[in-house]
Amino acid sequence: MDVTPRYLGAGSFLSRRDPRVLLLVPVLYLVAVAGIDDLRAILACTVAALVYYRAAGIPWRGVRANWAFMLAFTTLLVVVNSVITSTDTRAGGEVLFTVPLTGSDITWATLSYAATVLVRYISLAMVSFPVAFNIRPSDLGVAFARLGLSQRLAYGVDLTFRFLPSTWASFRETIDAQRIRGYEHPRGRNPVKRLLALKPVVIPVTVNALIDAEDTVNAMDLRGFGGRTRTWMRELAFDRVDYSILAGFAAMAAVMVAARFLGLTESVWVP
Amino acid sequence: MTYEPANTGAAAPREPIFAISSRTVVFGAVGAALYAVLGLFSFIIPGTQSVAVRPAFALVPFFGKRFGVVAGFFVGFVGNAIIDLISGYGLTFWNWSVANGLVGAFAGLIFAYLPPIRGEALRLVVTALGSLAATALGLLFVITDIWVQGIDFTTFLTLNYGPALLANGIAVVILTPALDAVWEPLSKRTGR
Repeated sequence: MDVTPRYLGAGSFLSRRDPRVLLLVPVLYLVAVAGIDDLRAILACTVAALVYYRAAGIPWRGVRANWAFMLAFTTLLVVVNSVITSTDTRAGGEVLFTVPLTGSDITWATLSYAATVLVRYISLAMVSFPVAFNIRPSDLGVAFARLGLSQRLAYGVDLTFRFLPSTWASFRETIDAQRIRGYEHPRGRNPVKRLLALKPVVIPVTVNALIDAEDTVNAMDLRGFGGRTRTWMRELAFDRVDYSILAGFAAMAAVMVAARFLGLTESVWVP
Repeated sequence: MTYEPANTGAAAPREPIFAISSRTVVFGAVGAALYAVLGLFSFIIPGTQSVAVRPAFALVPFFGKRFGVVAGFFVGFVGNAIIDLISGYGLTFWNWSVANGLVGAFAGLIFAYLPPIRGEALRLVVTALGSLAATALGLLFVITDIWVQGIDFTTFLTLNYGPALLANGIAVVILTPALDAVWEPLSKRTGR
């Protein structure tokens, strides 16, 4: 199993961008699409999200399982919440049919609103996937530091990614060592027994990692970790293209927020 | 504001409760990596449709208790975010990562203000109850699903919060005291 994030979009337009762009765009996009009930407005935003996603160059083969899960999960969520039950729905207009068990009246407004919510989820995934697949894991620490996170915590993010492979190796080693002593994976149905049976693996892996961490702490203290200013091997700098992308999404967020305040996108569009 | 981790007299240095030292950073990073690796494994409770117990969740209150509020938050937040990154979901479920982080932070706060307990059996019971309370409080943050996902309060309670509390509660009640019991003598030996 691969325990490090997959860097699938290497060489693409978005992978050449400053990683801060990829972290900020989903935030701006979320601001833009939050609270929109009009399908036409959400579709307009989705066009921007689709162009952005295409620029990520993520190969379909690498993410089709992720998309399948995401689409199945969100479709189920929307159908249950906005169509079958009236948990999160909009009504009004001529009743097309009534759902037998729940008695929910389905109108064009109900269907239009459900489509709006579904498209919103899908477009949010489009701008979120590049965070997972287009940022080099080693760039995340410096990206967070340059976004204003504490330098120490940003270094902690960096350190976490460095610990992943060794933690995974220690985990495999511990399982092998325990198997030699007769350990087998718990397979019963009782969750308490299964948890108790995991103790011979979870506890040694954790304790070994903590004991090793003491050496790392000492090494960092000896090298004066935590000084006022910290430099990073990777230098980040926005270029013109980065600014253009951020400006574009910021403008879209501003327009959509203004439209919301003016009441232009708060009513469900019925064709 | 200062604190002393609630153990049985381990020689823990007094330091500000929100201090970010090299120790906080390294143990937070180690905990997040452990949570990310072990968190990839879970199993469904029989008889439920989607209540998955993630044994590694027990690490979150454990790190909160032993290494403080900041390390606890870091382990839950970064660990869960990395699981999402490895799975490929990016920042879609960011509020669940914050909720995981808050569990660690609440554990750090709860145990920082509890007086030291000498008896081992009582300490383990208090560890289990404190971790469960931190889990119940921290996971309340997923109420933000009402705005993020557009669900109502009943759905939040019955489909999100309730199952998550049940599944993670089982893990912390069983595994967090076990981890704490093993770490206690080692922490004394290292003078931490």
